Amino acid sequence: MFRRNNIASRIFQRQIYTPAPGTSVYCARRFYENLVPSCTIYDVECPDQSFRKFTDDGQYLISFSRNQQDLVVYRPTWLSFSCKEEDCDAHDLPPKAKRFESFFTHLYSVSLASCNGNELICKDFFLYVESNQYGIIATSTPSIHDAAANGAAIQGVPYVEKLTFHLIRLEDGVILDVKVFHNDFVNLTHNMGVFLYDDLLAIASLRNQTIHILQIRDSGNLVDVRAIGAFCREDDELFLNSNAQCIAFPDKSKLHQLPGNNVQNGTHLSQPNQEDSLLSGIKQRLLSFIFQGISNEEKDPALRAQWLKKKFYFRFQDYVDLIIWKVQFLDRQHLLIKFGSVDGGVSRNADQHTAFLAVYNMETTEIVAFYQNSAEELYLLFERFCDHFHTASKNSVSMNFVSSHSNNIHALEQIRSVKSKASSQFMKKMLGSLPYSCQSLSPSPYFDQSLFRFDEKLISASDRPRQSTDHPIKFILRRQPCSLKFKIKLGPEAGNADGRTKKIASFLFHPFLPLALSIQQTLFLQQPSVVNIHFRG
Amino acid sequence: MGSMLGDWPSFDPHNFSQLRPSDPSSPSRMTPATYHPTHSRTLPPPDQVITTEAKNILLRHIYQRTEEKDLRPKRAATENLIPEHGCKQQRASPY
Repeated sequence: MFRRNNIASRIFQRQIYTPAPGTSVYCARRFYENLVPSCTIYDVECPDQSFRKFTDDGQYLISFSRNQQDLVVYRPTWLSFSCKEEDCDAHDLPPKAKRFESFFTHLYSVSLASCNGNELICKDFFLYVESNQYGIIATSTPSIHDAAANGAAIQGVPYVEKLTFHLIRLEDGVILDVKVFHNDFVNLTHNMGVFLYDDLLAIASLRNQTIHILQIRDSGNLVDVRAIGAFCREDDELFLNSNAQCIAFPDKSKLHQLPGNNVQNGTHLSQPNQEDSLLSGIKQRLLSFIFQGISNEEKDPALRAQWLKKKFYFRFQDYVDLIIWKVQFLDRQHLLIKFGSVDGGVSRNADQHTAFLAVYNMETTEIVAFYQNSAEELYLLFERFCDHFHTASKNSVSMNFVSSHSNNIHALEQIRSVKSKASSQFMKKMLGSLPYSCQSLSPSPYFDQSLFRFDEKLISASDRPRQSTDHPIKFILRRQPCSLKFKIKLGPEAGNADGRTKKIASFLFHPFLPLALSIQQTLFLQQPSVVNIHFRG
Repeated sequence: MGSMLGDWPSFDPHNFSQLRPSDPSSPSRMTPATYHPTHSRTLPPPDQVITTEAKNILLRHIYQRTEEKDLRPKRAATENLIPEHGCKQQRASPY
């Protein structure tokens, strides 16, 4: 369809034409082709803090102080200065406008980590509850590795003495509620161990192998809903405890049904879970689902025992040793849980280890599906319905329009071309991103694949830091005339001559304003990071 | 029907009978051509209620695949069950 490039004629056209049904957001977004952050202020003087992200509604910029004890919140604003002369375009910005404070107003700072304790804010972790403008921030004591297992804890997983989640009202910085975990471990880098969906929070405790589901009430309270792990339903623990007393005095007629060691241990039974006794909770659900699935594969009942021996009992211990790695919500009742071996749980190269993905229904406490992480069936579901894995809450309008290969033809063509070259490895790599970490993608329209083309290795909607480059990162218009629209450059032209110092760059794009921050950090050196502001001049 | 509503049919001959033509000289109101359905296959069942599916499409596919896998040898599984009481007879598998 013929579309004009000139912004004035686009505005006139908008007065006349109604967008096709369901495309109003995409039509409005096309204006971002004309409004681009083409001006850059290099190396802005700003407070020495680690800037985390813009909230998804664009109201706040979240950052943490360098000593990782305070939360500092800014409000993104815009430049305001006037030029009295006739030919204003030729003039550069006055120096007093080129300041951090011109773009961001400091709202408040809140001290979260106590000074006497050795707690620090986890600066990789931040979640935003858009409906109430609440933020979730975590503070923890240092992690202790090589910890011996005790009780229900898994050996090989580190632990922290105290981990606190703070629920903060970002309007004024008031701490509304906290949730504390003791002697536990949750992987907080890039929001990995915690998933927020609407008002439900799923926290995957790796050490105690429990998924804690909490609800964030409008009043600002964090309420425990359930804890899935050793128990599935809320009243399982009560039921087992009350029945443990019955096991202590076994009924003689039923003696033959109980295994021998259980009866003997029954008199000493104070808690229902023992190390050698029956598997319970989600492990039991998982193993029985795997058993039934394998059992159903063999139609001939005479051969079924042999089949089970080969496929299930031979690997029984491996299945029992599976631990929960990561969790996400698929909807309010269903969880997607990644299971793997203990080695891969906290290692960086998790891709090399075999892992499994299971869909668990919290209401019926049943496992619905179980796949290996290289399963083609799962990959096909992922390719077609990627957006349903990126469960965005209904409240968040912007997050429903992030480009993915399920809603964008260019992204789909890109992964199909890679897939055709190396199929099975590619599938495993793509499925390795499941379960997703929530709020890790920026909703900025500049990352919309139908508007702009850019090098995904250098910059993308994901907020992970990348290798920094001296070359400018180009954003090219997707449709004709495919011209270069703007560049993001990390340093002035002169650049740094020393190519040896490894630098990483991270980008924070405002959700809807043509405003972005690029932060360049030198690894292994204690130099302060360089912050550039990119905006529409 | 004349010029106002074209020659479109209706299922009830009494419809549009209240119309008065704007031009008094034109012929008086005509009943529209009446069409009756010859079958009732397309009628909705009387107790039909249309609601939105609560599960999203991804979960629907996952459940569908699981049900497909389960349906195949489900009858065969009953042969393995040990009858608790002697009066129960083993069901022969229909497959």
